[in-house]
Amino acid sequence: MIEQLRQRARELLGEGTVALVIGYGRGNSPQATFPVFIKKADEVDRLVFNPFCRNNLAVYLTRKDIMPKGAVGLVARPEEVRSVAVLVQEQQFDPDKVVLIGVACAEPGKEGAACEMLKGRTLKELEAEVAERLKGRDPAQEVAAKVQELEAMTPEQRLAFWEKEFSRCIRCYACRQACPMCYCERCIVEKNQPQWIPSSPRPLGNYFWNVIRAFHLAGRCIGCGACARACPMGIPLDLLNAKVAREVKESFAYEAGFDHEVPPPMASFRTDDEQEFIK
Amino acid sequence: MAMLLAKKNLRALLRGAMDRKYRVVGPVREHGIVLFAEMSDPGALCLDELNTQNSIKEFFFPKTEKLFTYSLGKNDAAVADDFAPPRTVLIGGRACDARSLVALDRLFGWDYKDKFYFARREATCVITLACDRFDEACFCTSLGFGPRAAEGSDILLVPVEGDEYAVEAVTDKGRALIAEVKDVFTEGTPGAEKVAYPEKKFDLAAVKPWLERNFEHPIWKEEFLSCLGCGTCTYQCPMCHCFDIVDEGDIHGGARCKNWDSCQFALFTLHTSGHNPRPAQAARWRQRLRHKFVYYADKFGTEACVGCGRCIRNCPVCLSILDKLVLIGREAAAAPAQPAGAQP
Ligand code: SF4
Ligand code: SF4
Ligand code: SF4
Ligand code: SF4
Repeated sequence: MIEQLRQRARELLGEGTVALVIGYGRGNSPQATFPVFIKKADEVDRLVFNPFCRNNLAVYLTRKDIMPKGAVGLVARPEEVRSVAVLVQEQQFDPDKVVLIGVACAEPGKEGAACEMLKGRTLKELEAEVAERLKGRDPAQEVAAKVQELEAMTPEQRLAFWEKEFSRCIRCYACRQACPMCYCERCIVEKNQPQWIPSSPRPLGNYFWNVIRAFHLAGRCIGCGACARACPMGIPLDLLNAKVAREVKESFAYEAGFDHEVPPPMASFRTDDEQEFIK
Repeated sequence: MAMLLAKKNLRALLRGAMDRKYRVVGPVREHGIVLFAEMSDPGALCLDELNTQNSIKEFFFPKTEKLFTYSLGKNDAAVADDFAPPRTVLIGGRACDARSLVALDRLFGWDYKDKFYFARREATCVITLACDRFDEACFCTSLGFGPRAAEGSDILLVPVEGDEYAVEAVTDKGRALIAEVKDVFTEGTPGAEKVAYPEKKFDLAAVKPWLERNFEHPIWKEEFLSCLGCGTCTYQCPMCHCFDIVDEGDIHGGARCKNWDSCQFALFTLHTSGHNPRPAQAARWRQRLRHKFVYYADKFGTEACVGCGRCIRNCPVCLSILDKLVLIGREAAAAPAQPAGAQP
């Protein structure tokens, strides 16, 4: 499989179709992989793919300081495919400038789990393929179970749970930096005229920050878990985002990142909407 | 004869301190991670991990600090800045953690003596555990000290054969605490020390001159592309000490707060004009390395890094300052500086 991946990258770079391939490289241990940036066809052997490739690489596609002028090849697991779908939907880049190299692992995080190339080449094909793969499967079962546990609590218990979790927040914003959908040049937490969110790492501001971030990801978060993995204080942000995603699914029958051609639910409206607020 | 502490008496030591109204801070497990936190029960002490996730700086230079509070009345205003930290025992740091305090003393006591920091320093007795293991992110020995260095500790506990620690009382503060809870210690001949030394990984002497000579170099373009600018490396670092000052409150009252800040944030150097002198993550990494190994060393005679490895273990994209220091060591060896006085 890895040879196919490298071959694809070699072709893309060799033919000049892309100026850069973003993929995974091997860290100091087999379990450690990290993002690598390959610019030359003869460097493609640095690419690896295994069940421990967990960073969401789509985060780099909106980083102006590192994106080249030409097109980019992106090693894309289902998480990257879905992230790219959202970013294209939100018009963050020209979709022709991103060439996806689809890959998938049967059981991410599990030593020895099978990895393969995805067949699709275009975003549309890959979206369909990913939807098919994920059908009937809940990739985040553990998260779903924990969300149910939280839903079963009384509001007071839930508040106490989150207060305790958020009390550890140091406001490093690693969650935001690791998230492909957090691409705003000036995040609301950095706006200070007025200061919408108190910037000190204290309970009020921490609550404010984490909840606002979850709201801003409603209908956009694809559940990759990069935020929770990046958080150095072990705050289970994945639970918060999964809950919001569930609400969106129930209210709008919509899940983020499966079709870049439909309008996103939080950024569209209908003039014949039955609800009052639209009039 | 020397003073010994049976490992099983470690918690009794903490109990003794609690009974004497010390606040006790040490590593505890919370939501799957091990953190330095205040303990209400000595049983919570968790020594499973080599290093905690956060560093001990939190207890001297907290993530947020109220410098003063103010309240405004109709015709008057009041300001309050009273501050008295609790008497504290901080247990479970490593030699690197303790060394960070000595290095930070120089910064916080340089032109203005930071009263909050030093009040906490004076109120805190630091009990350090020498390391009986290390991992691939540890590099104290490359920085010219080691896992049983006593610098910065008030008491050093060195693991020895026989499930015991040899107790070294380093300062008067340490001796005073030992006198208060003396029942938990015994006298005896310590067994062989069980201290594990990581191997030396780079030549520290080569790093500073290389960084001084190579403000422009291809590595600044190639090596840091994956950095997310998340700031984790600086917030978890015992030596990083940048802060921001903000006023929080309203017309009736509020507080002036000193909060951690990070050179890894784009906003850190953004001018109001929109110009940013450090426009990319690579420039921010260069600053991080130069601050730690050039500017701090020039001003305070020691590096602003103690080799604890927290930044390495916690980086979401596995960027390692140690790898970069090893790389710089190699670059320096390949292109040595002109000997002093030589004409180019
Ligand atoms: S899981 Fe976290 S990082 Fe991933 S898309 Fe959702 S909010 Fe962003
Ligand atoms: S990564 Fe964690 S600690 Fe940092 S701001 Fe986000 S929630 Fe807070
Ligand atoms: S922790 Fe890693 S990704 Fe985050 S700012 Fe530091 S080096 Fe960059
Ligand atoms: S730079 Fe990294 S290794 Fe050095 S003291 Fe800070 S966290 Fe520890």
